[in-house]
Formats: sequence, C-alpha cells, structure tokens
Amino acid sequence: MVKEECKALLDALSKVTACYRHMVLTIGGTSDSQNLREELKKTRQKAQELAVANRNKLTAVLKDKTVSKEDKAEFERLWVIFSTCLEILEIDMRRALELGHEFPLNVPKKHLIQTGMSGGTSGVAARAMSVQNMKYEAEHNIDVVDLKDLENEINQVGEMMYEMEMKVNVPQWTVEAKQDPGAELKSTISVGASSIGMISVEENKSFCDISKVLAGIIFSAVLIIAIVLAVCVVKLS
Amino acid sequence: PPPLQTPYFWTSTKWPATELDYAIYLAKKNIRKQGDLIEHEKDNYNLLHKRINHTWDFVVMQAREQLRDAAPAGAGGAIDCQEQAYWLVNRPPVRMGWGSWVGGQWVRGWRVQPWAGGEDGGAGSEHGPGPVRRARGFPPAPGTVLYIKFNEQYVPHDPIMSGCLPSNPWITDDTTYWAMNAPTVPTPTKLRVERWGFNFSELLTDPLGRAQLLDFLKKEFSAENLSFWEACEELRYGEQSRITEIVDSIYQQFLAPGATRWVNIDSKTMERTLEGIKTPHRYVMDDAQMHIYMLMKKDSYPRFLKSELYRNLLAEAIIPPETKKR
Repeated sequence: MVKEECKALLDALSKVTACYRHMVLTIGGTSDSQNLREELKKTRQKAQELAVANRNKLTAVLKDKTVSKEDKAEFERLWVIFSTCLEILEIDMRRALELGHEFPLNVPKKHLIQTGMSGGTSGVAARAMSVQNMKYEAEHNIDVVDLKDLENEINQVGEMMYEMEMKVNVPQWTVEAKQDPGAELKSTISVGASSIGMISVEENKSFCDISKVLAGIIFSAVLIIAIVLAVCVVKLS
Repeated sequence: PPPLQTPYFWTSTKWPATELDYAIYLAKKNIRKQGDLIEHEKDNYNLLHKRINHTWDFVVMQAREQLRDAAPAGAGGAIDCQEQAYWLVNRPPVRMGWGSWVGGQWVRGWRVQPWAGGEDGGAGSEHGPGPVRRARGFPPAPGTVLYIKFNEQYVPHDPIMSGCLPSNPWITDDTTYWAMNAPTVPTPTKLRVERWGFNFSELLTDPLGRAQLLDFLKKEFSAENLSFWEACEELRYGEQSRITEIVDSIYQQFLAPGATRWVNIDSKTMERTLEGIKTPHRYVMDDAQMHIYMLMKKDSYPRFLKSELYRNLLAEAIIPPETKKR
C-alpha cells in the first residue's frame, strides 16, 4: 500500500537526519577527522535522495483526487512531518557549513576544540547509509573542497522547500498529532534493527482488518436477507 | 584540561535555539527518564505539545532516532551532558529570588516558573498573565503596580477590550459610534466624561473637555490661565515665521504689568521669561507654561471635578444603546 511505502520512506529520512545531526555535533571537536567529513558528505547526499523520493511520492498522492478523506488527512499529516524533517535537515546542513568554514582540518594553526568526545562516528554513518562498513575513498582536502558542494546542496534544499510550500496547499494547523504527551514512553524501544515504522504499520493493518471484517459482516447479512426473500418469493408463487 | 563545549552547541545568533529542537530534547529526556522530568520541563513539554501539535509526531519520531545514536556509543555521555548544559542556558528555569541548586532544581521557596510564562501570579490575575510574583516579603516592583492600575482604569474604555456601543462600525457598517465620539458634539458620551476624571491631561486634550474647563474657569475668574496655556502651545507648535509675533502678543496680553489678562507666575519664573523674551524662540515660555499647567492641575482641576458643572455633565451624558443585531 502507498501509505506504508510513504511511512517507510519518511522513517528512513528521519533516521538519516538524526544520524546527520549526530555527526554534525562532532565537527570541530577532538573526534573530527577527514573521515568524518566524508561521512557527512555521504550521509547528506543520501538524505537528499530520500528527501526527493519522499517529496515525489507524497506530492503524487496529494494530487490524486481519488484518495479518501481519512487517507488524505493521513497523507497531509505525513506531509507536515516531512516538511519539518526537511527544516531540521536544512538547519543542520547550514550549521555544518558554518562549522566547516570555522574548523578546516589541514591548517596547522587552527586547533580542534578539546571536547572530551572520543570515538569515531563510523557506526552512526554506517547506520545512516544502511551498510555494514563504511568505505573511505576521499582525497585529503575534502573538508575544504566539500564546502562548495554543501553550499549548493543547501540552496537546493531551500529551493525544494520553497517549491513545496508554494505548490502543495496543506495548512499545517489542521493536522492533529496522533500521539498524546508521553506517548513515547508506552511503546518499547529496541535499540537495533527494528524501526518504529514497523510497529505503526502493524497498528494500521489491524485497523484495516477491523473495517474489512465489519464490511464483510454487513455484506453477508445483506446477502442472507436477499436469499431469504428470494426463497419466500419462490415458495409463494 | 577540562573538556569544552562542542562547537555545535555554542551560542550563536545565526542559529537560535528553536522550539522544535527543545521539544525533541524534552521528548528524548522523557524517554530516558521514563517520564520523570523536572517540574518546569514538564510544564514546557505540555505547552509545546499544544503549540507545535501539528509536528508532534515528528518530534517523537526524531527523538527516538536520536536516542538510538546516543545510547550505545561511549562518546554519548559527553554529548548528553553538553546538550543538557546547552538547554539549561537557552531555556533556564525562571526563578525568583535566590535559592540553592540542589539535585538539579532550585529549592527553598521560590517556585520555578516555566519560561513560557502564562501562569497568573501577583495582583491582577484577572488580566491574564500577571506580573512575575516576587519572593515573599518583597513588594512588587513599582512599575508593575502602576501598570496594573492603568490597565484596570482604562480597560472598560478600550473599544477592543470592552466592546464599543452602539456597535463596532467596522463590523456593522454603522458609523454612529464615530459620530457620537466626534471631537465636538452637543452631548458627550458617559465614558468620555468619566475619562476626564482620570487625569488632567485627558481633560485638556479633549476639545470638549477643554471647553467645559474654560467655562468653569470663567466662573472662577481664572480663565486667563487656560488661555495663556493655549497661547504657549500655539507658540511651541506654530510656524517659525510667526514666533516673534506670537511671543509679542503673549507678552502684551498676559505678562506685561497691567495687562488685561495677567497671569499669576512667581517672580523667579517671570524674571527668567522676561529675559528670554529678548531673544525669542519656540521654547521661551516653557517655564511659565509648566508653572501655569501645574497650577491648573493642582488647584482648578480638583475643584472642577467636585463642581456642579461636572456633576451635571456626568448626569446628562448619554450611554448609547446597543444596536440590535439584524
């Protein structure tokens, strides 16, 4: 179903955004390195791919007139989540650009800040790219070279957000959160592979089932009544 | 060397700490502490849930994802500490008075108020968020008391806060309200006459009020004060080319010994003014004008309010009836 695909895409984007943020946190600190900059670049590009995919899918669905009202509300909710995710991504990208300018790696005079954070971010990057191990292939001065690309990508994201706002008419204030305050405490969090997207998909599936069962019962009831009437007609004539 | 804050969390005007970020941080903390947030954080959490309700699902999603990255890594501890410090700076618990920092909270009497405000405290709780309540034993700051008094006095007169009779012209297209409150009308509205009693400047700035004051002063034989004051206003705000002319006429009418409408100014001010007249400019009469103004305010104005003239005005003033909605 389209809804599940959209949700899965959105979950992936959210995951990559969180990973990107985690990596941007460490720029300029003791765990900064060329590898980090390369990880940032790759994660960022993956995030952009996912963003474009999300946008295409959601705009296609929102333009579709045959979608039912509840489905439309659900897709609007996903749209609002998507645009907020993009906002956060853009902010983090801008921060990365600033920090990248402030802390170039190969200049001997500029020192990195003693933040007390050790350990690399390769695990986080691997999770973002959904690979087992990260492969590092970049040149030595990626931290400086990459910044121009980063600037361009920030502009691209900015333009995408502007286009989204202009073309898709979804008023944000009409969307209501599905979760009450404190809802995050209820579902158990497993640190690892299973994503929350799966849990909510199951919930949705059970809802679908209930409505399907109800429809089935009503249909069969109508069918039985029709059969009884036909039998009566046959018997009387 | 002690560890420093990672550059991401440095305060900068380029990236202010947004509500969204704070909401995600609170959600993460909520999960990690299993619902055991500090009081002000709980209040902020609920407030934010209402305010950015439309993206709350995203907040929860992102909080979960961010926790996934933070928990297993050994470096996670340092980042969490730094994040907590960042939010302590950017969303401090508003506390009044001094207390002591015990177990992550300010103790000893002073209630921690959420930075987002909205709790009523102190005097005037009917007026929405009241002033921040100071510690017990301290009076509220003098400005707040006057501010509250001013609001209490003027709220019934404000057409937005208390509605305007007969009806709001912008809504009903009925301009009676403006007609009744025009600068010169035969019968003023009751609210207007009441306002004359608030302070002297209200009376003086209202043309109708000023006319009534003039009548009253004529009865008391001190009308020249008001005329003098009006003439000085004309000097202050009048044309540059006419200044010498006006100064001259004021002198002839009010200040010259044996003038027809001689005003009673004390000798020092009179000396200064007469000196100043020799080189006339816009503000030569300021001292004298202020003196007369204070005289009217302290002397004639209270008498005016107690006079029969004013009481009659109050009695005759009309309260416009509310037009029935069609």
